[in-house]
Amino acid sequence: MRPLPGFNLHRPTSLGEALELMGALKSVKPIAGGTDLLPLMRDRAITVEDIVDIRGLHELKGITVEDGTLRIGALTTLTEVLESPLVAEKASVLREAVGHIGSVQTRNQGTLAGNICNASPAADSAPALMVIGAQARVSSARGVRRVPVEELFAGPKMNSLGKDELVTEILIPELPSGSGAAFEKLGRRRGITLAVVNAAAYLAMDGKKCVDARIALGAIAATPIRLPEVEAAYKGRELTPEAIEESSRACYSLVNPVDDVRASADYRREMACVLVKRAIVKAHARAGGGQ
Amino acid sequence: MMVDFVLNGRAVSCDAPANILLLDLLRSELGVLSVKRGCEQGECGACTVLLGGRPVNSCMILAARVEGRSVTTIEGLRDEPIMVALRKAFMEGGAVQCGFCTPGMLISAYALLRDNPSPTPHEAKTAIEGNICRCTGYALPLEAILKAAEMTPAE
Ligand code: FES
Ligand code: FES
Repeated sequence: MRPLPGFNLHRPTSLGEALELMGALKSVKPIAGGTDLLPLMRDRAITVEDIVDIRGLHELKGITVEDGTLRIGALTTLTEVLESPLVAEKASVLREAVGHIGSVQTRNQGTLAGNICNASPAADSAPALMVIGAQARVSSARGVRRVPVEELFAGPKMNSLGKDELVTEILIPELPSGSGAAFEKLGRRRGITLAVVNAAAYLAMDGKKCVDARIALGAIAATPIRLPEVEAAYKGRELTPEAIEESSRACYSLVNPVDDVRASADYRREMACVLVKRAIVKAHARAGGGQ
Repeated sequence: MMVDFVLNGRAVSCDAPANILLLDLLRSELGVLSVKRGCEQGECGACTVLLGGRPVNSCMILAARVEGRSVTTIEGLRDEPIMVALRKAFMEGGAVQCGFCTPGMLISAYALLRDNPSPTPHEAKTAIEGNICRCTGYALPLEAILKAAEMTPAE
């Protein structure tokens, strides 16, 4: 057993107090579930002097809908996301993706906001949140801003937040009727595993015509990515099986994955095409299938 | 720092430095040895306990953060009808070999049957996906969980 390095643990009871601490302390990290942070600390992959426990911040709890926007507080666990009727109704693609994260134990402890802030390129919730236009509400003593989820990713395991900033909630806009989204993951096995590639697609249809398309891929680059070229190819088109096949093949040359222990670059490229195609087909059916 | 929490239904109060994990507090300070130290990476589930009634890996939790919460291990579930049924089914079904994964697996199975008295085989599999077993190959533990579900009197 290798003990964790020492640090000071702060337990603020209000958001204001937490933000003040984050602003004042030099080497500081917030902790919610801790399932990503603690292994990194144990491996000395990161060192911090101060940890701010945000569990006492009641304003960060709960899932609500306000003016059509689904708001998921930063302390919401992955299990709570999975079990939420509001998420099932308004953002079923997120539910689909979260079901793939970790084990029961990890989902009971880890949070959705943490899955994003940890900024793993393979984070399963990321592509799903990206295609439905999710944003993070980010607070610091300096003020509040909204950041699209894709912009929270700066590099592998690096988020774009200032050290004094805290994600307080994830905001998901209302999706129009006639739209649908889907998530697909390929791992080396079915249970608890990091993605070799994961993908999500969102389509909005007007009759047979696709009026909006968003596609995101994870575990394929330093951060999860959108595929604007493929998205553009879908827009304004009728999504025949041939059109879907052709444009999902285009992913092959658009991505530039790495070889690693989980898969070779070439395999990832092939699988990116397959997963995008599967996600598009499913999203298309959910959007009404062009009827 | 002092942590006050409820362990197996009893209030406890201990002094825990900030960097001590719940796993270590339970094993070294409180003598709860059913909670096993496996990977210490949140991967194997040998250290599973109920926190607020939900299975979590105690190696992924700072002890100081269970302040005010309730922690349950198999010691605290000894006489619970669901646990009695699980124990019987595990023993009679040969679902235990070396036994290292067993306490954690029983906690996960207990939480499953408490919330879902007649799980499907798939639901049972999902419930123990975070409990790695190097001996049994999972078939017998899964069978035992489903057997225990049949044995537990519906409330
Ligand atoms: S020892 Fe905690 S999950 Fe393995
Ligand atoms: S019985 Fe040996 S690890 Fe499961």
